[in-house]
Amino acid sequence: MRAVLLLIATCAAAAVAAPEPPLFVESAAATGLDFTHVNGATGLYYMPEVMGSGAALFDYDGDGDLDVFLVQSGAFESGSSSPTARLFRNDLTSGRLRFTDVTTRAGVGLRAYGMGAAAGDYDNDGDVDLFVTSFGPDIMFRNNGDGTFTDVTREAGVSDPLWSSSAAFVDYDRDGDLDLFVANYVDFTVAGNKLCHDSVGARDYCTPRAYRPVPDRLYRNEGGGRFVNVTEAAGISKADGSGLGVSVGDYNGDGWLDVYVANDATPNQLWINRHDGTFVDEGLLSGAAVNAAGNPEASMGIASGDFDADGDEDLFVTNIVGETFVLYANDGHGSFEDARVRTRIARPTAAMTGFGTHWFDYDNDGWLDLFVANGAVSIIEQQRGEPIPYRMKNQLFRNTGKKTFDETTTPGGPAFERAEVSRGAAFGDVDNDGDIDVVVTNNNGPVRLLLNQAGGRHHWLQVRLEQGPGNRFGFGARVGIERAGKPTIWRRVKTDGSYLSASDVRVHAGLGDAAKVDAVVVQWPDGQRERWVDQAADRLVTLRRGTGRQDQK
Amino acid sequence: MHSTLLALLLQATLPPFPAVAVDAFPPAARREISTVQREASARPDDVEAVGRYAKTLHAWDLWQPAHDVYTRLQHLDPKSFEWQYLDGVALQRLARHADAANAFREALARSPEYLPARVKHAEALFDAGRIDESEALFAALVKEPAAEPAAEAGLGRVAAARGRHELAVKHLERAVALFPELGAAHYTLARSYRALGRTDDARRALALHEQYGPRWPAIEDDVLARVAPLRDDPRARIRSGVKLAEEGDLAGAIAAHEAALAQDPSLADAHGNLISLYGRTDNWAKAEKHYRAALASGVNLSDVHYDHGVLLAMQEQWDAAADAYRRALEANPLHAHARNNLGQVLERQTKFADAADEYRRALEAQPGFRLARFNLGRMLIGLGKPTEAVAELEKIREPRDAEAPRYLFALSVAHVRAGNRAEGIKWAEDAKQLAIGFGQRELAAAIDRDLASLK
Repeated sequence: MRAVLLLIATCAAAAVAAPEPPLFVESAAATGLDFTHVNGATGLYYMPEVMGSGAALFDYDGDGDLDVFLVQSGAFESGSSSPTARLFRNDLTSGRLRFTDVTTRAGVGLRAYGMGAAAGDYDNDGDVDLFVTSFGPDIMFRNNGDGTFTDVTREAGVSDPLWSSSAAFVDYDRDGDLDLFVANYVDFTVAGNKLCHDSVGARDYCTPRAYRPVPDRLYRNEGGGRFVNVTEAAGISKADGSGLGVSVGDYNGDGWLDVYVANDATPNQLWINRHDGTFVDEGLLSGAAVNAAGNPEASMGIASGDFDADGDEDLFVTNIVGETFVLYANDGHGSFEDARVRTRIARPTAAMTGFGTHWFDYDNDGWLDLFVANGAVSIIEQQRGEPIPYRMKNQLFRNTGKKTFDETTTPGGPAFERAEVSRGAAFGDVDNDGDIDVVVTNNNGPVRLLLNQAGGRHHWLQVRLEQGPGNRFGFGARVGIERAGKPTIWRRVKTDGSYLSASDVRVHAGLGDAAKVDAVVVQWPDGQRERWVDQAADRLVTLRRGTGRQDQK
Repeated sequence: MHSTLLALLLQATLPPFPAVAVDAFPPAARREISTVQREASARPDDVEAVGRYAKTLHAWDLWQPAHDVYTRLQHLDPKSFEWQYLDGVALQRLARHADAANAFREALARSPEYLPARVKHAEALFDAGRIDESEALFAALVKEPAAEPAAEAGLGRVAAARGRHELAVKHLERAVALFPELGAAHYTLARSYRALGRTDDARRALALHEQYGPRWPAIEDDVLARVAPLRDDPRARIRSGVKLAEEGDLAGAIAAHEAALAQDPSLADAHGNLISLYGRTDNWAKAEKHYRAALASGVNLSDVHYDHGVLLAMQEQWDAAADAYRRALEANPLHAHARNNLGQVLERQTKFADAADEYRRALEAQPGFRLARFNLGRMLIGLGKPTEAVAELEKIREPRDAEAPRYLFALSVAHVRAGNRAEGIKWAEDAKQLAIGFGQRELAAAIDRDLASLK
């Protein structure tokens, strides 16, 4: 009997001791993703130093795997020795995940004080173009379709000297081409640099309140590779704010794409599309502009998605330490409830400053989870005196399926134990194994590639859309995935959101135990719906417009 | 034997003495905090010494270390109200609302009637999502006149959170009737009006929310008031000076800034603030002196030049003012106020087209800058472009605040010049009524004269 008890005890101890495999493994260096962001810090605490930079995950060469563009900041007085932005080609098609630096050949070795990136096929030629925001004029790179890009900023008419942050491609006027929304931040200039201090009087970076917000920009795509600045005509200039994050979605459920802007320390904006080329800001009335007490928060990154599977798009916004991050739950008609407490998001984020974020189903159980890239913007007391006193750990939250979240940062693995100054985060299935990986950028630090190890426990489906010559990848379309006895999974085709970053345009859905999908419904950007029935799971399916059955709402 | 055992038990549960690494602090903070820290660490069980240390950390907004020391104090001095209460305040600042609510509950167990703690307890419970408990406390607070606006606002928020918007409106309307500047109540009111389909009321409430922001009815708090004076450094003096200036006490504001500079002459922001403070008291020489000092610091040059421009304009040195604004714009081409003021100087110099151009550029940088749009509208009228003026002035019809009467009057003039007499009369009538409402008698009379000639 004693021996049996001992055996049980030993087995129990072994069971307890056996470590769970990490949910993510950091693999940047191992796969050749060799990039270090340089913020060019001068000791004068120029505000842009602490804000960048971002990344784009997009298939620039159309070979079916995700390549990585990494935005560089560098020196304020950029010279030929300044580091440049880098493009890394994913050579997965050769059999293993490996990146090759193709910056020079591709012609995207940009020397600018870069901030973020947006990816979309603005010229409808079937390949993905790149828009880069910066502290200084923004840049549009047209993809030539042969592995190279051309700087077409002047021809495109999108050069703007304001300090830009995140940007989003969106066909807001339903004319079949991608327009461009650019969030702009504040009127900081080097010559106008201000002196700011932390609570004990040490010099530190200023908050955005030290400067004035500058207006965002909306560019309408005129075709022929040209954009027109319609900011004023579209009503976007009627409200300003210190813009950092941009996300596109149909927030009031009227079938037209709206734009949500996260503004740092000023009320967020919810630009509701009025179907006539103009927008009206309903942020404050909608409840998604400020906290429940009516005060604006730091609002950096945005995740937009249907976390509670009720068919509408909810918003998650990252904030600064002492505020907690916020989840705005949508009632389906564009009225939002500040649900940070009831979803259990508030408590574990009270001591965090968050930037890049995204709803993504990391364990493929059918529910949208959350990743947050964290890093401070003002000195952390415990790190005072260290060279970079802004380091924080990133966080992972698992959706319980009951409208609450559990923090799963620790099971995330060693990749989550590292404290860095994270900023951008781009999401996509980098190794094409059916789960979502994360590229995380660090301010003045190396890029990280978090390869997902958790997705294999459940089934999944990825959907790539193709429509005619206009808006080829179906930006803005909604994809519904129907499973027997379970709520429809709704996802939007988009690359925007997060912070300064662009994510994979392919729609990904974890299916839980469902080995097949009853139907995939696509609501195209013009409102038409199509249905494809009986789709097998665990694969990428390309749905071409016109090949499904017409569907009634 | 018993007391020894108790002492041992206390030592066993007593949180370790929390030391803050002050070596990396700037001199003033290091000096003040290290002094009290040294005293407290020499007598780590002495409530008075450790309490002074905790409150000093609190005064310097070092919330986590302050919370750590308050935790120790709660063990050293378990019957004290003060440590529990101040810990609750620190925990609120750390956004740990559930913990803050517990701290306030413990504080109130020791001193049940302390009104600020009762209000904070109710608020912390609400922020922690414990709405039922919060409601009960707010309901009790309604009977306390000093806390009534906050309590009604709290009850309104509770009702709104439950989706009972009719009830929410009742409480919130009462809250803003008691304290019209309660911005948070106006915000929740707007949300509830919207939920009830009262969109116009919602927009009006939002405008008031925007106007009043985070203003909140102050409740006298003797315990908290004893914390702030524990910080006495140049930056605290500047903060106090800025607050005095906002309250209109220019002499007090100047004295606070000068005292800060006496402690640390290199404080560029003190010099910067004194440019306008001395300017507002017509002490040009002193203002000029601080302009030179701020300039020498090499930071915030756009605002320094801008403030100097304002100073020179106040002395009617228009050319010099224009130069100062141009220097501000060299440092920051997006400085909308410098553009607007430069436009106004150019207008005085009858360079109307150039002035209009500066107003336009001000609006490019800051489209919501109503004064610049008003100035642009006026210039366009003067330049014989009334249709363009109407287009600009239409954009500043709302909000209907104290500035609106003159904007509407300008809109009326633009319409008349554009040949829309009826529209002109309509907007002039509107402007006149609004001017009367805001007590702007001279403007109302001027509009009246204009109306008489139109009719």
